[in-house]
This record gives sequence, structure tokens and C-alpha cells, in this order.
Amino acid sequence: MNFNLDFMVATFWVSLTGLGVTLKLTFIPLLLATPIAFAFAIIRLKKNQGFYQIITFYISLLRGTPIVLQILLFYSLLPSVLNALFESLQIELDIFSLNPIIYAYIIFTLNSVATLSEVFRSALLAVQNGQLEAAKTIGLTSFQAYVRIVIPQALVSALPNISNTTVNLLKGTSLAFLMTVKEITALAKLEAAYGYNYIEAYITIFVIYVLLATVIQLLFGFLEKRFGRYKYPRNREKENLYA
Amino acid sequence: MLEIKNIHKRFGNTEVLKGVDLNVEKGDVVVILGPSGSGKTTLLRSINFLERADQGSMVFGDKKYSFQKASKKEILEVRKKTAFVFQNYNLFQNKTALENVTEGLVIGRNIPKKKAYEKAVEILTKVGLSDRYDFYPSQLSGGQQQRVGIARAIAVEPEVILFDEPTSALDPELIGEVLQVMKQLAKEGTTMIVVTHEITFAQEVASKVIFMDEGRIIECGTADQVIKHPKEERTKQFLRRITNDMEYAI
Ligand SMILES: Nc1ncnc2c1ncn2[C@@H]1O[C@H](COP(=O)(O)OP(=O)(O)OP(=O)(O)O)[C@@H](O)[C@H]1O
Ligand SMILES: [Mg+2]
Repeated sequence: MNFNLDFMVATFWVSLTGLGVTLKLTFIPLLLATPIAFAFAIIRLKKNQGFYQIITFYISLLRGTPIVLQILLFYSLLPSVLNALFESLQIELDIFSLNPIIYAYIIFTLNSVATLSEVFRSALLAVQNGQLEAAKTIGLTSFQAYVRIVIPQALVSALPNISNTTVNLLKGTSLAFLMTVKEITALAKLEAAYGYNYIEAYITIFVIYVLLATVIQLLFGFLEKRFGRYKYPRNREKENLYA
Repeated sequence: MLEIKNIHKRFGNTEVLKGVDLNVEKGDVVVILGPSGSGKTTLLRSINFLERADQGSMVFGDKKYSFQKASKKEILEVRKKTAFVFQNYNLFQNKTALENVTEGLVIGRNIPKKKAYEKAVEILTKVGLSDRYDFYPSQLSGGQQQRVGIARAIAVEPEVILFDEPTSALDPELIGEVLQVMKQLAKEGTTMIVVTHEITFAQEVASKVIFMDEGRIIECGTADQVIKHPKEERTKQFLRRITNDMEYAI
């Protein structure tokens, strides 16, 4: 077996043109999902009946099924459902000409909501109740207490899990090729198809994903140290910050 | 100034407060003694609405509050007139010593940041922490944390400060520094309700001592009356026990 190195370098650059799409597919759903997931987490914690059941069901549904299956199902189902809906509302919109990236955003957002709401829920639970109580005793409203004291601490303790979620989603975006979205994996496959250089193409994007995942983890590691400063003993603070 | 009437509180089937009355005048230092589980913490927490009592009312200043029915607005009002010092400090972990003190001023009372900062510096100096402003709670000793806790409480200039066993989580050698600060406050005329097992502290500064058992006030009077010359058998037993413990500890 001989490797075509020139091809690998060429594929590297071609695939990299999909970097923007891959990053958008990762971060746009995360940003969209965050506020919803937070609301879900709080509703679950407050045990607001009704809602609680629906949200718990939703979470178990999305976390209990493979994302590939969700993509295949939604991508075959959603366009026809939307089309029928728009037709019945007599809205002139050709669903089938819609950029498939929209479906990818929707699916990845729905998925991230489920994952993140669990992340936020356990992070909020990890903040001792005494923190909320102390805030109330100095005259803060519940809302102020959450915004100033509880949520900042919860976010810091959630950072490692948010980092994992982000890396998982980054990897998951490679499945967007199933929806004909031209992200890194799709571009590499296209490139490989001309001369059947699949192995080289896959190794190339393998490297790209490893690099991306590493950067993300480093970034979150930095955030954790920056915003989690208060957890470290003072004399070791500097070391920790730059470790 | 603060008059509590007939407060009842149950958790599930157990009634923890069975009709407690308590009168606090401005400048009073009320020390509450009592065995574990007698309802001391629950009483303090109910006054501050951290716990919702089932029955009873209090007159605070010139306003009357129902424990059971107080609205959110009334609860906030009471909380702005009081402060709480916790057994395990409960300092805001994500805030420095200084920020712990300014939080109630800037956010709770809309005092300008600069003014709040100056006040916090002054108060932290007063409790002996002038060199620890920018330390986070995890970087402070227990005694230092509790002194920040007290600083946070006095900063908001409450009419009453509630202390729930402020020294019982501390190593013996750190208790003194916290009691010192509390004695200073008492001398300055701060109104306080203090749950503690520190008998000497009670004898030195209490204007009123209360002995609680099983959700009721059993005995009430001056330190001399309740600690030196208790009338009730249960009080005597309790005092014998904790003074014995103290001797063991020494
Ligand atoms: N949130 C709660 N749920 C159920 N029971 C509770 C709760 N809080 C307190 N209790 C019960 O109420 C009783 C009184 O508790 P409380 O904490 O007021 O006692 P205490 O006098 O402060 O005791 P200690 O000296 O040990 O602090 C105890 O029997 C306790 O188990
Ligand atoms: Mg207690």
C-alpha cells in the first residue's frame, strides 16, 4: 500500500475550507441551546409538574437514541411535515430548496438542549443551598441571588462537562454529510471519491478533528482556570493559571 | 423592637417549634441555649423566612408580619432589616472577602460601588482582616471566614443580627477571635440573637438568656438567673452536661 502524500496535503486544505461550516454547526446550536437548556434545568429542579414530565420525556428520548438515527429520521420527516404545514397555511415557501444546513442546526440544537440541560441541572445541584440562603439573608431577591451567586458558580463547575459536550458535538457534526451539508467530512469524502483515496482522506480529517478537539479542550481548560480561580489556594494560584 | 408571638413550625409529622414567644429590645443580646434538636436553628431561620413557619406572627419595628402569610415583598423587607451569621459561614465562594461584604450593599441596597467599597474596607479592618480583602473564602481560615461572615452581616446595618452557632465549626484556637468581634459588637449596642454553647460569652454579654428544649422556651431571664441559678431541672441537666464537656475539652 502506498500513501499519496501530495493528495493528503491537498485534501487537508480542501477539507479545511469546511472548517467554517463545522464550527458553525458546533457553536450555533450550542448558543441556541444554552438558554433553553438552562430554562429546562430550572424547571426540572423546581419539579414544576406537567412541564417536568414533558421535559424529562424529551431528554430521555433524545439522549436514548443514536444521533445518526435522529438525523436520518428528522431529515426524511421534517421537510415533508413542514411542507404539508406550509401548504395547509397557504404559505409560498419551497421547503425542498432550503439550505440543508438549517436542518442540521435544528437537529443539533434539539440534541444539545437535552445534553446541556442535564449538565446545567447537575451543576446547579452542586452549588450548596447555603449560598442561595446567604444571598437572601443580605437582602437579595431570588433572581439576584441566582444571577450573582448561584449561576456563576454552577457555570464554573459545569465547564468540564460543557467542554465534553462541545467536543462531542464537534465530532457529531461530521454526520451532517448525511444531510448533504458541506462540512469537513463531506468535503474529504468528495475529494477522495475522485481517485478512491479514502484512507488518505480519512487520516487527514482524523488529524483535523484531533487538532480541533484539542484546541477546544485547551480553551475550556483556560476558562476553567480563569473563572475557577476562587477554588485554588492562593499561593498556587499563579501556577494553576498557567499550568 | 422585635416581638415574636406563638411561632409554630412542623416538618412533616414532627412539630419542631411548639409556640415560642420572644421579645427583643433594641440593644439586646439574646443568647439561646438548648440541646441538639430543640429547634434553635429553626427558630432563627423562621424569623428570617429561610423556613416558612406554620403559625404565629411578629411585630418588627412598627410593622406586623404573619409567619405563614407574609408576602414576598414583606419577606424581603424583613430580610433587609436583619442579617444572618451561619454556623458554616456560607460565604459566597466566587467572591473575595471584600466582594462578600459589598454584595449586600451594592446589589441589595443600591449603594454606589465606591461608597460600598470604602465601607467594606472599614468593616473588614474592624474585624481584623485589613490584609485579606482580595482573598477568596477557600483561601481563608475558618476563623477568618466567620469574621468575613460577620462583616457581611454588619455592613448592611441590620436592626438585628441572627447568629446560629457562629463558633461551633471552628477549631478551639480560632473561637476566641470570632467571640472577640461579637463582644465588640455587643459593646457598641448591636442588637443580636445568638444561638451558642459558649457559656462564658453568654455570661459576659447576654442581656437575656433563653433555654429551649423540644420546641419550647423552658426558662428565660438574665444570665445570672438562667445560668447561675437555673430553676428548671432540664436547664440544670443541660448546663451540667455542657460544662462537663468543656472540662473534657480542656
Ligand atoms: N429541613 C428539615 N426537614 C425535616 N426536619 C428538620 C429540618 N430541619 C430541622 N429538622 C428537625 O427539626 C428539629 C430541630 O432542628 P434544629 O436544627 O432547629 O435544632 P437545633 O436546636 O438547632 O439543634 P442543633 O443544636 O443540633 O443545631 C430536629 O429534630 C431536626 O431533625
Ligand atoms: Mg442548630
